[in-house]
Amino acid sequence: MLSIVTRRVSQALLLLLVMSLIGFVGIHSVGNPVFNVVNVETATVEDIRNATIALGLDQPLWRQYFLFMENVVTGDFGTSYVYHLPAFKLLLSKLPATLELAVIAMALAAPGGVLLGLWAGRHQGGAADRAILRGSVLALSIPSFWLSMMLILAGALLTGWFPSGGRGATLSVAGQEWSVLTGDGLRHVFLPALALALPNVALIARLARAGTIEVERQDFIRFCRAKGLSSRRILFRHTLPNISIPLVTIIGMQFGGMLAFAVVVETIFAWPGIGKLLIDSIQLLDRPVVMATLTFISVAFIALNAVVDLLYAVLDPRVRLST
Amino acid sequence: MSVLDRPLRRLIASSIAIALSAGLFCTAAAAAELRIGTQLKLMTLDPHYADLNENNSLLAHIYERLVNQDASLNPQPGLAVSWTRISENSWAFKLREGVRFHDGAAFTAQDVIYSINRIQTFLKPPSGGFQNYTQNIKSVTAPDPLTVVIETTDAAPTLPLSLTSIFIMHEKKGGFATTEDLNSGSQPVGTGPYKFQSWQSGEGLKLTRNAQYWGGTPAWSDVSFRVIESPAARVAALSTGDLDIADYIPARDVAGLKGRGLTIDSTSAARSNFLQFDVGREQIPGVTDNAGNPIKNPFRDKRVREALRMATDRPFITEKILLGFGTAASQLFPAGLSGTSRKLAVERPNYEAAKALLSEAGFPNGFHVVLAGPAGRYPGDSESLQAVAQNWARIGVATQPVVAPFSVFATQRSSGAYPVWYGGCSGEAVTFCLKAVLASPDPDLGTGSINYGQYQNPAFDEMLAKATALEDGPAREAALAEATEFVMADDPIIPLYHFHLIVGHGQRVSSYAVHPRGWTTAMQALPSAK
Repeated sequence: MLSIVTRRVSQALLLLLVMSLIGFVGIHSVGNPVFNVVNVETATVEDIRNATIALGLDQPLWRQYFLFMENVVTGDFGTSYVYHLPAFKLLLSKLPATLELAVIAMALAAPGGVLLGLWAGRHQGGAADRAILRGSVLALSIPSFWLSMMLILAGALLTGWFPSGGRGATLSVAGQEWSVLTGDGLRHVFLPALALALPNVALIARLARAGTIEVERQDFIRFCRAKGLSSRRILFRHTLPNISIPLVTIIGMQFGGMLAFAVVVETIFAWPGIGKLLIDSIQLLDRPVVMATLTFISVAFIALNAVVDLLYAVLDPRVRLST
Repeated sequence: MSVLDRPLRRLIASSIAIALSAGLFCTAAAAAELRIGTQLKLMTLDPHYADLNENNSLLAHIYERLVNQDASLNPQPGLAVSWTRISENSWAFKLREGVRFHDGAAFTAQDVIYSINRIQTFLKPPSGGFQNYTQNIKSVTAPDPLTVVIETTDAAPTLPLSLTSIFIMHEKKGGFATTEDLNSGSQPVGTGPYKFQSWQSGEGLKLTRNAQYWGGTPAWSDVSFRVIESPAARVAALSTGDLDIADYIPARDVAGLKGRGLTIDSTSAARSNFLQFDVGREQIPGVTDNAGNPIKNPFRDKRVREALRMATDRPFITEKILLGFGTAASQLFPAGLSGTSRKLAVERPNYEAAKALLSEAGFPNGFHVVLAGPAGRYPGDSESLQAVAQNWARIGVATQPVVAPFSVFATQRSSGAYPVWYGGCSGEAVTFCLKAVLASPDPDLGTGSINYGQYQNPAFDEMLAKATALEDGPAREAALAEATEFVMADDPIIPLYHFHLIVGHGQRVSSYAVHPRGWTTAMQALPSAK
């Protein structure tokens, strides 16, 4: 057990190291962030040189990298070139927005997808199954920016039921601003959460359907049926646990994706989350923020993977017994 | 500037067209709250940290300047009621009486001294854009609490204009306030019409009315700014009534917004975008003959620059690409603003004459050239390059437009990778751009800071120096216009256009005065009577 943990941790550290190197060199080779910090239309050559020196960008790249790593070890990702705030603090301030959007989207997607998948699998070949299959192909293949625009068109422009973007009113709890705690905030979160959830509903539904079809053919289900159990009880008590491992895996991975790469949805709905912070910072070449965000995303994925592995053990006695 | 902007804008344009049939929905909001959606991303609460419109526009609600700029860019009384030049190298400013900071303290000359000193001595790079405005200030003294005397190292006939960029902070006893302090803990305290309530860096700013404001009670009880960088999202939020005002509206969305009953205001920005040549080096990258062999820098020959200017169809750009929301340019600031020439005019392209001139310069068959520019930084930037490339192709100059994200473009440009490129200049006065773009680069004089092409014209330098030594008035304006006409005859750059700043507003706003500097403030908006 201990060796597994040490192996996982060392793998994670190696991954973080490689990620930091790629991110650092990548963002460095794009261009000089100084041109986004000073006003290029008014700054003198001297201003640009001074700013370059002040940001340490005149140093060779390897020295910049070692300096960065030295600071990271002490927990300091540096100060944002653009906002002049500590990069990690900036990241944390965007975390609640992303977290609540991802949690709500997954809270819609996971149960919705699982239920639809079970239903479709149970009634394989029926009208509902065909509708769900076709709907899921549609939901998976439409690009998320188009889906978001259509949701704005239908939910905001035509009906006026929901606002077209932004986060709405927030309530401060534990030093962070949360919009799910206010009615106005909930109205604001609905459309972007739906835009994030729909493709995931489809993905999870397809997976659950395939699993259900496979499991329902097996002997133990037939035995349950012979015993006279109700089909609902069979579905939820026997089929669902048996198909849950791939579902938990995909839910974990997709949740990580929502935390990190909801860029398109966050941009269109002007939702101030981490995905938007990442893409903005890449465009402004704000290296400290990019590095802090990438590190956060990597750690989040590693942690989610670990949680998924733990859940395997919870869900499947065979995994538990083998270790 | 999102990667998504282009498809998004198209989509929103079509979605608005579909939505035209539906009624206009307005969410009810408190009667006197103004909701503004802005492209300008507030980055810091330190008014002296970076001289970017992003910060200056929003911070102008909280902090004020000694001297303001009206819509023609002329100085107007702000925190100073009057000013006089008491000698060649010194100015006296009479301060406004009865002005109070948001914390109740009276505004005095000490605050002016503190603010100027903070910029000059305290802030270190990468902060620093404001030092350009204070660099020739030798000393600031206060003979009495409501008078400030500023001595300069040399003659400074336009010091009041320089001070239109400097926000006045409240003096902090025992040392200067750091940027970190201002960004995180303490509430920013200014004298402006609105008080700071809360902010989220890069997201928004909330303000409340300063009932004690010296200029009378501000029109709006509360103002909330939302930073929405995607133009499509700004347009959508304005359309649904989530916003009362949205700035930097793309020209293609204007018709749709008007159709929904929104009002559009626009004005020509105090700036220009132009094509700049590398004329400094004998050999430059990106220029070859038709067989692909490198040739000597053709742009050192004035006839080549003139031929290219004659072949550039600027009216096409403003009419077709900017859809009328742009003015074809023949100089650095739009004609009519202080210090501009009234004689220079934009001509329709004359391809025959341009081709003849090019032959005369030794290029009867033209040459190949790379035309570089940023994508999505300015309205119509990359589209203009496409249009210009086609124009130049007509006289035999095979032009390859190369566009890149702004920071990539800027890095490449400063490393000398381009032969000719798309640039821009804006400033508090046309003199700034004349000095920065057209004067010979000279670090001591601070001239030529964006003259990346190393254009040098000693006769113009001299005319400009003479003109800028004059005090504000008709003589100075005439001298500046004359210098402009003189230098533009040499075609150092090809001015393309002055794009228009387009602002849309809903019915809760009765009028909005667009400012040519590109600021978006609640003070420019008047509430409607209802």
